[in-house]
Amino acid sequence: MVVSKMNKDVQVRAAINQTLIEKLEKENSSELLRAKLIECGWKDQLKAHCKEVIKEKGLEHVTVDDLVAEVTPKGRALVPASVKKELLQRTRTFLAQHASL
Amino acid sequence: MDAELVVTPPGCAHLGSFKVDNWKQNLRAIYQCFVWSGSAEARKRKAKSCVCHVCGVHLNRLHSCLHCVFFGCFTKKHIHEHAKAKRHNLAIELMYGGIYCFLCQDYIYDKDIEIIAKEEQRKAWKMQGVGEKFSTWEPTKRELELLKHNPKRRKITSNCTIGLRGLINLGNTCFMNCIVQALTHTPLLRDFFLSDRHRCEMQSPGSCLVCEMSSLFQEFYSGHRSPHIPYKLLHLVWTHARHLAGYEQQDAHEFLIAALDVLHRHCKGEHCTGRSKGEKLKAHGVSLPRPCGNLDPPAAPALPLGSAAWQWAGCLGGPGSQSHRLLPGDDNGKKANNPNHCNCIIDQIFTGGLQSDVTCQVCHGVSTTIDPFWDISLDLPGSSTPFWPLSPGSEGSVVNGESHASGTTTLTDCLRRFTRPEHLGSSAKIKCSGCHSYQESTKQLTMKKLPIVACFHLKRFEHSAKLRRKITTYVSFPLELDMTPFMASSKENRMNGQYQQPVDSLSNDNKYSLFAVVNHQGTLESGHYTSFIRQHKDQWFKCDDAIITKAGIADVLDSEGYLLFYHKQFLEYE
Repeated sequence: MVVSKMNKDVQVRAAINQTLIEKLEKENSSELLRAKLIECGWKDQLKAHCKEVIKEKGLEHVTVDDLVAEVTPKGRALVPASVKKELLQRTRTFLAQHASL
Repeated sequence: MDAELVVTPPGCAHLGSFKVDNWKQNLRAIYQCFVWSGSAEARKRKAKSCVCHVCGVHLNRLHSCLHCVFFGCFTKKHIHEHAKAKRHNLAIELMYGGIYCFLCQDYIYDKDIEIIAKEEQRKAWKMQGVGEKFSTWEPTKRELELLKHNPKRRKITSNCTIGLRGLINLGNTCFMNCIVQALTHTPLLRDFFLSDRHRCEMQSPGSCLVCEMSSLFQEFYSGHRSPHIPYKLLHLVWTHARHLAGYEQQDAHEFLIAALDVLHRHCKGEHCTGRSKGEKLKAHGVSLPRPCGNLDPPAAPALPLGSAAWQWAGCLGGPGSQSHRLLPGDDNGKKANNPNHCNCIIDQIFTGGLQSDVTCQVCHGVSTTIDPFWDISLDLPGSSTPFWPLSPGSEGSVVNGESHASGTTTLTDCLRRFTRPEHLGSSAKIKCSGCHSYQESTKQLTMKKLPIVACFHLKRFEHSAKLRRKITTYVSFPLELDMTPFMASSKENRMNGQYQQPVDSLSNDNKYSLFAVVNHQGTLESGHYTSFIRQHKDQWFKCDDAIITKAGIADVLDSEGYLLFYHKQFLEYE
């Protein structure tokens, strides 16, 4: 059932993902990320942005897709570099210890 | 879950055809396998199988079809294509479990499904050993009604002064006022009372101190700016703690302990008029020095009246130790009056466990007891009890960022002294059950369990046989405090040769933040109490009876300090 045309990049990503999920690391670093994003005010910023979008589009008409489309680029941009760095470092360390890629 | 979900998510009309036969079981299976996988096996399977059947990628908002086994990504519309082609109109998003309806073209929320989803999520977390996680508040029916009938809302901005209110001095009652300020600014206590969690158990409700505390919080957070007159509180205190009655100046620390005790008893509906039997007499709020050779429970902290004294004739690790019960000369305080551990809000917030280890110097057997405490009373240099100057090189000296440059005593110094091993001397020999004879021993205190709010009492009022005086030595105290070096577990690590504290950034359990300081100005005979309290994380205010003024952190940290209130920085859900 799995697709035939998977390039190397996708394969590696999938393998990494598998390791992270199996060893609960995905869950743990998600939690860490969540906590950090709350601490630095990212969550509040985006929440405010969501409210603006909803006001704009109207509560009755707005869909999740609208929000995702509007909020994703801003959300990605607003993540502090330090948080990205820390998470990346953490994942690297983890994979170095656990993966046989 | 006793709260009824009021906002009944209507779902959508298209769910009708889905909710047939064994749909609940099937849905649960989907949640367990592909959304919230608890067991390692399930996670493995999820990782392997959850990829898009079209492009093989696991990202891009992967969804699973609810009608057949198909995974497709949302962003690339692969799931949409499937839905259209097969006319399978429902899909579930694999990261957060949302249900998408392709006919409504949006996520839909159905009450039955929401309930199942929450249950499966909790199950998975439990299996993973994560326990409970934070979930946002959802109002109950009653709460919605209350909100509707009381439309006035108060917005908390960073510079609003809600929660600040002066207290009129009713005649030398500043000792009470500053404790009230500290308590009304204890975050957990505030949350407890403002969310109306107290259910009165007292026979005569008018005499309940907890109820009065509750109305006190209402007064403080009412938004009124005029000072409050706490006459009812004073009356209740006089009724329930007779030793504090009268218009004489009392000790603020004494009042704190008495207040906590009365609150603790009233939470359970126990009536109390004065002091319980067997309690030591205290003159002017100062504990009498313990007689030599008496192995009472730690003399320093004030034992909460009527609390359980847990006994543990335990075996402790450490080289060559065996567990022996060292029989003390005096059984004072070792009786457990209440075997049931109380779970009232006072105990939840303020009660910690103090471990006392008595080691026989001959056979090295250790006898351990753990006693509950509400505060830690610390001796100061300049008192008649010798305060050993600790060299800067000893462990923990650079903890909490305190410097010893000017030779100032720090709070950490006092804590180190408090937890130092103390040789009990030849006049205080203990009968060791291992040696079957009286032997010399050392005693050491450490923290077994830290309370959520830690109160440190600097013993400034000296009351020995010869003199009564106030010790005004400046003791510097930090804004943030790490209690790790004083924990029983740290001591065990050191005994086992682990000198380096494992620097674990995820273990924040012993970190505290200062939130209130009570100060005494003047002499033993005549003095005045004021307090500093913390508002909004980094704003401090000075409370001098009816007068509240803004204060800077420097003002707080430079003050003499008599009672120091620290709050745990991180709270875990149990």
